Amino acid sequence: MLALQLALNTLALAAAYALVALGFVMVINAVGAVNFAHGDLVVAGGFLAVLFATLIDLPAVALAPAVILAAGGLGLVLSLVAYFPLRRGPPVGIYVSTIAVGVMLQNALLNLAGPAPRRGPPLLDAAPLRFGDIVVSSQAMATIVAAALLLAGVQLLLHRTQFGRRLRATAQDPLMAASIGIDTRRAIAFSFAIAAMLAGAAGLLLAPLHFVSPHDGAALILKAYVATVIGGWGHVRGALFGAMIVAAFEVVGATLVSQPAAEAALYVTLLAMLWLRPEGLFGEPSSRRA
Amino acid sequence: MIFHRPFSVLSILLAVVATPVAAEPLRLPVLVPITGFLALEGTSQRNGALLALERSTLSPTPNAEVIDTGVTPEGAITAFERAMSGGKAPAVVAPMLGTQMLALLPLAEREKVPLVTVSGTAKITELDNPWVFRFFPGDDVVKVAQARYAVEKLGTRKPALLYQTTAYGQSGRQHLAEQFARLGAPLVFEEGLAPTVKDVLPALIKAQAAGADALILHLHAPSTALVIAQARAQGIDLPIVAGSAMHQPATAALLSPRDLAGVCAETASSPISGGDPAMTEFATAYRKRFSTEPDAFAVAQYDGTMMVLAALQAGAGKPDEVRAWLAANPHQGLAMRYRSDGKGNMAHDAAIVCYDGKSRVPAIVQRYTGTP
Repeated sequence: MLALQLALNTLALAAAYALVALGFVMVINAVGAVNFAHGDLVVAGGFLAVLFATLIDLPAVALAPAVILAAGGLGLVLSLVAYFPLRRGPPVGIYVSTIAVGVMLQNALLNLAGPAPRRGPPLLDAAPLRFGDIVVSSQAMATIVAAALLLAGVQLLLHRTQFGRRLRATAQDPLMAASIGIDTRRAIAFSFAIAAMLAGAAGLLLAPLHFVSPHDGAALILKAYVATVIGGWGHVRGALFGAMIVAAFEVVGATLVSQPAAEAALYVTLLAMLWLRPEGLFGEPSSRRA
Repeated sequence: MIFHRPFSVLSILLAVVATPVAAEPLRLPVLVPITGFLALEGTSQRNGALLALERSTLSPTPNAEVIDTGVTPEGAITAFERAMSGGKAPAVVAPMLGTQMLALLPLAEREKVPLVTVSGTAKITELDNPWVFRFFPGDDVVKVAQARYAVEKLGTRKPALLYQTTAYGQSGRQHLAEQFARLGAPLVFEEGLAPTVKDVLPALIKAQAAGADALILHLHAPSTALVIAQARAQGIDLPIVAGSAMHQPATAALLSPRDLAGVCAETASSPISGGDPAMTEFATAYRKRFSTEPDAFAVAQYDGTMMVLAALQAGAGKPDEVRAWLAANPHQGLAMRYRSDGKGNMAHDAAIVCYDGKSRVPAIVQRYTGTP
């Protein structure tokens, strides 16, 4: 019974982490560089949910599209400020510029909302669901469903639409994509926007039970980074699998042993992965890793 | 205009030379953690000190110099050094974070300046440092009240403790474990949570599995709210007796009244609970000044700062005179009557507040009065 309870708790956490990791990988694939502001975009999503819930008296489900679109707008701005002006320089310039934008975002939130944590509106405000001895909070269930829908939507977008094919073509070989008439600038800008939308959705889903503070971004980017290294640099499926592993350590490890021990075990696993299989579980040369 | 400028500069210089040297303005550095995981509590501490200075009848009133210490000992040391570089101050409002206070104690002794704080960490007044004055009841007072209320009033026999892994948390953990054992209800489960931990479900599931009949919390404000929110969302309806962070209106604001049903907390006072005209008047003034609700940390720092001002009013001008006055005299504050126990512990009373599940305003249900 405990195993089932832990599996459900892991799935709920992994669902939110998967959204974060998928967005993180999308930018890596689109521009070959890490977006260090990605964690701050998750935080921005949480704060947007808090703001919209304050301004508009509607359930969070109805506010979600507005939060996700607004986060996407932030992603577009990020690409215009931190990527395009530096795209012809070395990747380190993009790393640094995304760090700078992330810090600016943190400080903007700090000044606008203050340092105290905020709680986002629950996606589903209902009693916990009980299956015998197994209990799942309605928010955890809503997170699993919402994340599954979003992940499926992104997969459909990337693999079943012309727009998605253009994004993937740009990610695989920008020069070739440009030579066959794809507007690669537009494709990259949309990759940033979709990544930010996923980050915003994750922020919306995490804010009701994990709260949101301006400085939460650093911990979230670290989780996305670890998930990506474990899963395989640049691999979408790898990122999702890595997110599941990170969540499993946080839930199962912390329940069976303790939270500090689980955290230590996660990083031991990460080190072991770098020694024994640096390309991650789903392959890709490690030389591209930042 | 150009030709006039040298004459203007000369006239200003002459004016400065001719003016008698004004007395150095009195300063009161306010070193508080207003960013990081203690931002809620630190902001209250700052507000309490500022309101005391603004309402002071002392003339001239000391100028407040607010410096953010963050949540690291280095941050506190840097803030202290910066405050001291501005000249002598009669006292310093010192951060409520225990690790920061432990770092500042030797510096206060070196500079011979009293530190007035609301830190709950027991250790800070156990090091025979005569320069520290604590205006919030220490763990040896509030943790006794917390354990006694859980056992004697709620009938808890199997308490599970979740504590913070900070110095504050470790200090309280020790006191709570001893108290529950002494009361015949030893802890059936305990776990430390880092302030960065967001998913507390694993600890809650373990507490349930250990057969706990109550959750005892000794956590900072965000972690306290996280535990309660996640417990209630998971359908865990165990009674909760929390540390003083819970009584703060800013903590309660993170929770729904429904979440708060069955939640109690130890504190020194509860200014929003009403009942005392002086406290109600303070709460009104605080709301007007800061557009937020006051809490016990704000009241305690207000009382502490008022006692420093009373020392100055009584003629204690130098830091060592202020220290001697604080050590020797009682002071009737808003929350209680303060008097040093010889170690710098000024507050000796505790209260327990409980929420009724219908509002975020707690009621004081029990008082525990101590003597210095």
